[in-house]
Amino acid sequence: MNSGQVADTRTRDEIAAAIRSLTAVDLARLKMVARKYAFGRPIEPDDLLQESYIRALDSRACPSHVDVVKFLAEAMRSIAHGEAEKVEHKVTLVPIAKTGGPEDAESIKDEADDAETQMIAAQRAERCIATRAAVIALFDDDPTAQLVLEGMMEEMTAEEMRELTGLDKTGYDSKRKLIRRRIDKQYPEGWKP
Amino acid sequence: MTGKGKRERVALDRLADVLVDDILSASDEDILAEFRETFGDSDQNAAEMRALFEKSVLASNKKRLAAAKAAATANRLSPATSAVAPIDMAAARARLRAVVDKPGLPQRVTLAARKESELSDADILGMLEDLQELGLLPPDDNQDGKP
Repeated sequence: MNSGQVADTRTRDEIAAAIRSLTAVDLARLKMVARKYAFGRPIEPDDLLQESYIRALDSRACPSHVDVVKFLAEAMRSIAHGEAEKVEHKVTLVPIAKTGGPEDAESIKDEADDAETQMIAAQRAERCIATRAAVIALFDDDPTAQLVLEGMMEEMTAEEMRELTGLDKTGYDSKRKLIRRRIDKQYPEGWKP
Repeated sequence: MTGKGKRERVALDRLADVLVDDILSASDEDILAEFRETFGDSDQNAAEMRALFEKSVLASNKKRLAAAKAAATANRLSPATSAVAPIDMAAARARLRAVVDKPGLPQRVTLAARKESELSDADILGMLEDLQELGLLPPDDNQDGKP
């Protein structure tokens, strides 16, 4: 680093100071983000928050120019995705073939574990299907909002959705807000897969 | 998750990402209003989240302490660091003789050191250390400052 360059990542103390100075609005935002990322994942919002704090202090490099709220939100996203993947990897285990030897006892145990894992995976899949349908059904009274919601789930851009629905920017932003608030009200604690 | 339910799982993940983007870009007023409406007092939440952070700092410190302890134990057990460097006693006795043979040394020291052949290794090292402290013996570069 030359003398004119500032440090490009925050130190542990700088991150701690930045988190300690977050306002009530920042913390409300973070709590809402935690609830969203815990939504449908096998982790509680507070555990997600705490893990993001620990990673921010211990392992994730926080670039100096990045807003700490956004940095923590991204950490939560990464943790939540990791938790979901753990479950997915668990359900794609391949059963071990029987050899006829003494290890058959282990193999039988593996099969039992595998059957249980498959059952959990099947239940989880059912819940995902049901939840998606239930979230969409929340907007049965507002077909435009429903269309926007489905677009959000299909990774459509704002422009594409505005074109599809005929909404202007204000109308579109207002629908997004309505969607967020209605989902929050319906699932204040998220839902468990 | 493979096959059944995967499409729905991905759709819900995307929805969470988009809703988080909205939360991050919403105005402070909107966030406070929504928070109060759905979750309650934002000041109480702030206090709880600050307490959670301090708890996380403690957890992180404990983790760091455990890692430092493990590293210290590993260092102690490492053969490279646990082996004590052997002291060349013949060289130490030769150094002492060379100093004693120099003129101008206090008589008390000279008399004690002249019996070098009768002194134990520990006595030799102790004497070299004393001489070094008195400024009568320069540090030995090969001994990392030790006599």
